[in-house]
Parts: sequence; C-alpha cells; structure tokens
Amino acid sequence: MIQIKHLSKKFGALEVLRDVSITVRKGEVISIIGPSGTGKSTFLRCINLLDRPSGGSIVINGVDILDPKADVPAIRRKMNMVFQSFNLYQHLSVMDNLTLGPVKLLQTGRQEAEKKALELLKLVGLAEKADSFPDELSGGQKQRVAIARCLAMEPSIILFDEPTSALDPTMVSEVLAVIRRLARDGMTMLIVTHEMKFARDVSSRVLYMDEGVIYEEGPPEQIFDNPQKERTKIFINRVRSFNYRIASPDYDLYAMNAEIELFCEKQILPLKSRQSLQLLVEEVLQICADTLRSTAIELAITHSEKTGEIKLLVESGGAEENILESAALPDELGLTIIRNLTRSIAYKRDGGQNRLTLILKEQ
Amino acid sequence: MRKLAMISALLFVAASLVAGTSLNGATLRSPDDLRLGRIGVLQGTIHERYAMKAWPEATILQYQSPSDLLLAVKSGKADAAIYSDDELMVMLRQNDDLAVLGDELLATPLGMGFRYEQTELRSAFNNFLRDIKADGRQDAMVRYWMKEGGTRMPEIPASAENEVLRVGIVSDNGMPFCALIDNRLTGYSIELLDRFGLYTGRKITYVNIEFGSMIAALASRKIDMIGAVMAITPERRKKVAFSDPYYEQGANLFALKKNIASLPQPSTAGSVKDGKSFLAGIAESFRSNILLENRWQLILEGFRTTLVISVFSALLGTLFGALVCFMRMSRLNVLRVSAGVFISLLRGTPVLVLLMLVFYVVFASVNIDPVLVAVIAFGLNFAAYSAEIFRAGIEGIDRGQTEAGIAMGFTGPATFYFIVLPQTLQRILPVYKGEFISLVKMTSIVGYIAVQDLTKAGDIIRSRTFDAFFPLIMVAALYFFLSWALMRLLEYLEGMMAPKHRNRTVAA
Repeated sequence: MIQIKHLSKKFGALEVLRDVSITVRKGEVISIIGPSGTGKSTFLRCINLLDRPSGGSIVINGVDILDPKADVPAIRRKMNMVFQSFNLYQHLSVMDNLTLGPVKLLQTGRQEAEKKALELLKLVGLAEKADSFPDELSGGQKQRVAIARCLAMEPSIILFDEPTSALDPTMVSEVLAVIRRLARDGMTMLIVTHEMKFARDVSSRVLYMDEGVIYEEGPPEQIFDNPQKERTKIFINRVRSFNYRIASPDYDLYAMNAEIELFCEKQILPLKSRQSLQLLVEEVLQICADTLRSTAIELAITHSEKTGEIKLLVESGGAEENILESAALPDELGLTIIRNLTRSIAYKRDGGQNRLTLILKEQ
Repeated sequence: MRKLAMISALLFVAASLVAGTSLNGATLRSPDDLRLGRIGVLQGTIHERYAMKAWPEATILQYQSPSDLLLAVKSGKADAAIYSDDELMVMLRQNDDLAVLGDELLATPLGMGFRYEQTELRSAFNNFLRDIKADGRQDAMVRYWMKEGGTRMPEIPASAENEVLRVGIVSDNGMPFCALIDNRLTGYSIELLDRFGLYTGRKITYVNIEFGSMIAALASRKIDMIGAVMAITPERRKKVAFSDPYYEQGANLFALKKNIASLPQPSTAGSVKDGKSFLAGIAESFRSNILLENRWQLILEGFRTTLVISVFSALLGTLFGALVCFMRMSRLNVLRVSAGVFISLLRGTPVLVLLMLVFYVVFASVNIDPVLVAVIAFGLNFAAYSAEIFRAGIEGIDRGQTEAGIAMGFTGPATFYFIVLPQTLQRILPVYKGEFISLVKMTSIVGYIAVQDLTKAGDIIRSRTFDAFFPLIMVAALYFFLSWALMRLLEYLEGMMAPKHRNRTVAA
C-alpha cells in the first residue's frame, strides 16, 4: 500500500530524516515511538507531503507522489491525517466540519453527507454535539470529532500525529478507545505516540525511531519486552522510570509530587504502593535537606512489570558519605519510617557519586 | 505679600497671553492701527502680498474662502480683513454689523489667464473685449452687476458648436463676479465668459477649482483658461499669459462696526433681533440655507458625490488591497518588496497630497473626471491600509487550519477559500469597518480637485448666506448619517458571514 524508500529530509543543514525505508501493507497498524525530536512527526508529515522530502521515493497505491505530475490532493483524500492540535475548522459547526470535505471534494450530496456524518458522530459518541462549535468542546471531544472528520472522507489510510499529546490525562482514554475500535475494524493506520501501553496493545508493528532513522522495528512484544538494540533498551527502560533532579533546597515539591503521581498512574500502581512511595521520597528528602545546600540530588524511580519491584535511586555528589547513617538527625523517627517502608537499603560509592538504592516493601 | 504680588503678575502675563495682540474696543481709526493686529486675507491673492508688505509686524491670517474670511472677522478671530471692493459691497449689504475701514488700499487690473502658447485664444478674447467696450455692452454689464447689485443672469444662447472650452472658476467666490444662484452660475464673470463662448463659437464648461490651485490646473491642462477673479501681477505673469484687463478692481479693509472708532456705535437695540425665538431663528436659517435658490439640490448632489466616492474607493481599495496583500505574502522577493514599498509610501503620505499628485501630476495631461481621480486616490490609500488589515487577519489564523485542509485533500487556493478566508473575514471586519468610516470622512477634501462633494456644497451655501452655523451643522449631520447608514450595511454583511452568531441568537 505504501512503499517508502531511502526517504530523507533536511531543514537547512539539519538532517531530520536519513534513509528511512518501510513498506506498509493494508490493514496494518503501525506505531512509531521514540524520543522527542527524532523525526517521528516529520516522517509522518512527509508521507502526505505536508513537509516535502529532500530525497527518496514514496509510492502510495502504485503512484509515486514525488512525481511532479502526481495528483497529490487526490492521494491525500484517500490518506487523511489527525493532528496533535486537532485543527478543527473553527468557523464551522461540528456537522459542517464533517461535511465540508465530502461535499466540496467528493461531490457527495449535502443530505447524504449529513446522514453519513451523523453516523460517524454516533460512532465516536458525539452525535448530540453535531450543532456545537469546536470552541465549545473539550479536548477529547475535539479529537474524536477530528477522527470522525477523517473518516467522513472514507480514507484507506489514517495518519495519527501524536493524537493524545495535547490532551489532559483524563481525556486520553476516550480518544484511544476510538482509535482501538478503528484498528479492530481493520483500518490501516500509522500512529506517532508516546502512549506505550496503547502502542503495545493496538499495533501490529512498532517502529522505534531515533536520530532520524528507524532504529529498530518489530512486533510489539519484541520492542517492548525484548528489545534487541542498545538504544531501544534504554528508551524502553526510561519509559518505565521516573527521573527528577533537585538542584536547590527550594525545589518545587508540588510539581515533583505531581510527576510522581503521573508516573504511578501510567504504571498502574496500586494506591497503597503510591502512598508508600510518596512517603518514602518525602522522608528521604527530609533527611537530605542538609546535603542539598552543597550538592544536587538525582532521584530515579523504576518499576519492573515482571517482578512488581519498585526501586528508588538517590544519587548525590560531594564527599563520600551515606546520608542515612551520617546525617545528624534530631530523632530517629524519619529513619524508622524509611526502614519500615523498604525491603532493602544499599549504599555504594560509584564514580565519585554516592548512590543509595532503596527497594519498596511488597504491599 | 510678595507671593500675592507674584501671583497677580503671573495672572497679568497669562491674561495678556490669552488676549494676544488682539485689539479690543473701538480702537480702529485708520488702517495704520492694524500695525500689530490680525489681518485676514484670502490665500494666494494679491491682498495677501499687499498685507504682508503694508503691515510687516501684523499677524496675517490666510483663509480659503470669502465666507471663512467674513466669519473670522465676525467672530473676532481677525481684527480686520481685506477683500475686493465690489464683492465687499454685496457682503456688507447682508451684514449690517460690518463696515469698511479707511480708503481703498489698492486697485488692480483683472485679467483672464491663458498658457503662453495659446496666443490664438488669448487674442480672440482681447478682440472680444475690444468689441464689447466699443458697443457699450461692457459698461451696461458693469452697471447692472456692480452698481445695481443685480442677481439675474441674462439668457445667452450656448454656442451650437461642440468644441469645448474648459474654464476654471471659483464657484463660491461670491457676487458680483461669480456665485451659484438657483444652482446656476451667476455674475459678471459668468456673463462675460458666456458671451465670449458665443463669440468664439465654443461651448464653455466651467470647472470649479480652489483659487490656489488655479494656475497649476492651467499648467497641467486641466483647464484651457482661468476665468476666476484674478489680478494681473508680475509674479503670475511668469506662469500665466493674461488677457487685457477686463475690470479694474479695488480692495478695502473691513471690520466690525463696533471696532471702528469713527463710526457711530450700533445701539443695543440691535439685540431685539437676537431676542427672536430660537425656533424662529432655526426656521429662518433653514429657509435661507436649504430652500432659497433651491440650495437643497446642491446638498443632495454633494451627498450623492460623497457617497459615490466613498463606496467606489472602498470597493477599489478592497480589491486592490487584496492584491497587494497577496503580493506582500508572496514567496517571490520582487512582489513582496514592491508591495512593502507601496504600503509604506502610501501610508506615509498625507492623502490630500496624494490626491493633488494624482490629479495635477499623474493625470496632468489626461482629461479625466475628477470624481474618478478621487476614487483612484482614495482607493490607493485605502488599499495600503486594507492590505495590512488583511495580512494581519490571514496571519492570525492558526497554521493548523491550513494544514488540516491540505491534508484532507483541498488544493492550496481551495483551502484558502473554504477555510482561511471565512475565518479571516470574521476577524478583520471590526477593524475594516473603522477604516471604512475614516475613508468616508476623509473624502471631505476632494474640493481641492474641483469635486463638489458634501463639504464643498456646504461651503458654497456659506459663501451665499454668510451663515456659518447652520450649513456646517447640517453637513456634519449628513456625514454622520452617511457613516451610520454605511456602518449598518457592513454590520448586516457581517451578520450574514457569521453563521455562528446567527445560530446562537436563534438558540438563545
């Protein structure tokens, strides 16, 4: 359906894509994951020529779209796109957003287009919003309308460019549910996403992109559970870990707690573990308060899906010392709490860094 | 104590500053008393030069029209003013609170003006002048217009020939030379010119031009001949070939009677007139400014002209502005830069100067309707502003809107038309409306290129009735009405373009 060979894209001197080749077959759902700024979105935008590639070839349904004679708008009609920022037509009602394309481009009659639009709105659960305007909808609703607008053009391929990145966490699932449903119905889709769990469930193939190339590709089980290459491993592990750097005693405690909360939510940790983890971090930092005056502290929290083990790593520079032992504490209360919460505490001096590893007790 | 003295000294200084150099009370005995006073003159006339020489230390105030001059003296803005004696007599007949001050200041010959190469036309006029002097016709004319104060034009058949002679005149010059009475040009100059038309077998077309622009209009061939009341002076001779003098005209100073020492002061009985009821005064003003001599036709005509110029220059400016905006946003450097230069040039030039440039320079040798020139000049000016309004509107639309259209399969132009343009229009209309209203008001300067618009119509009426209040208020009210009506029209269009707005009101 899509054959891409040696695709490259440069913005001035900056090489965003290098020699990307891939073949997409009908009915495939391909997730594209990878760190930010590695050309995932650019790759997607090159496929429908929103960004013009600097080299290589893209053949869609047998048509080379980089050929100057190719009717690019006609190809785009069969290959619609869902954007991170929704991009609903602000001046049109939800209904008109869905019918504009079919009426003007596919010469569908207005009545027929409206009937079809209403069906699609039912499919995404928004039939009652047909007369609303985009600025009256929530983010999740907007994105579902955008997906329905895509479907109204009856495309054979849909490109999703980070469809949930601009959404509040509470609205992510409603959009993902709609995309899951499309996958079940056999729609061919390319999805750039940061939702790892979703990518794992929904895709038939996962591309890991890094530094402008497809670094590793394979079925989701391979990429997520058994990545073959070094960078993929690091990336997948990092997704499972939380990192936070505290540079001064006046750090933003609430922002940090919120991020820990978010991490726990993504890892689907039980409420009890969350509370213990937060208490542990709080007590450790309390004890580290003095250290923070002289050196920065790096926190890392990791969660292993296999063993269910939750690990807290505290790294600090400065002179060799085990904070938990040497700190002059007014009382033993904090330390007692930490000991009660953890299964093991280990201290190690490594490469000029004091490294403290605490493993949370099983709940 | 010292403080008090200081304050009173300051007050004195302030008071004398406010009072300026004005002369208060019946202090004028002779023209010499104006040494430090304020003297009103018509701009570009020989009176202006005379006043500067005769009273080098006085403040010389220049005015555009005789009615402004009269108003300046009546309202005390000028202590006295210089005006041609024949016209002054007419003016004094209608304003009994004014009087002549001193003796005749200067006497100058009046001549018709031609370009130097028009020797044939000039000698034709001189021959015509010799003929009517010989048969006594001229004496009769002078007697009727100047001495008897006549106001009726004799029937002079227009020449049957089709050859046109364009003659520049000042239609609000005032009697006895030239004025609009019953919407018909009337006066000594007009009779003289009509008779000359008959004599040479050419059809006279009168072109109404500000006096100060008269010589420029002749040089740029907008007119074939100057028929305005123009004194023959050495400076003008450099640019204009004058005919033989057709009249010798004097000039006098005039001032308020109460400021002239040698006159018996008007008694307070004059206030009986002021005691007339307010409504009766309005009714009288209405009668003299609107009904008399069918002056409402002038107003109507002027209103129509203003409307035509406003609407068509807005249309032209919008279309051309869209083109300039397209060029400004083009990827081609040539287009972008030239559009940028156009915009900054037009926005950095006063529209009056632009108007005159287009009329007297660009279309100098083309015989073109001045209304069209006004439409072009205001259209260009409006284009520069609307182009920037459009650009700001288009650039304000999120790039994602365009990308969504393109990704769906619309071509670039179709995306612009279906998605970007409707959103742009909704956004820019409020600013656009404001710009449009300024345009309507800006058109009030077209009088400079001989267009009789609403403002000019008011000026012409003022030159006949010497009433400032009523015509100005009426013109202001008409401009307000015009702006209001056009604004409502735009709001109606705005409502049609914003279905969102309509839906919501229905739902509410």
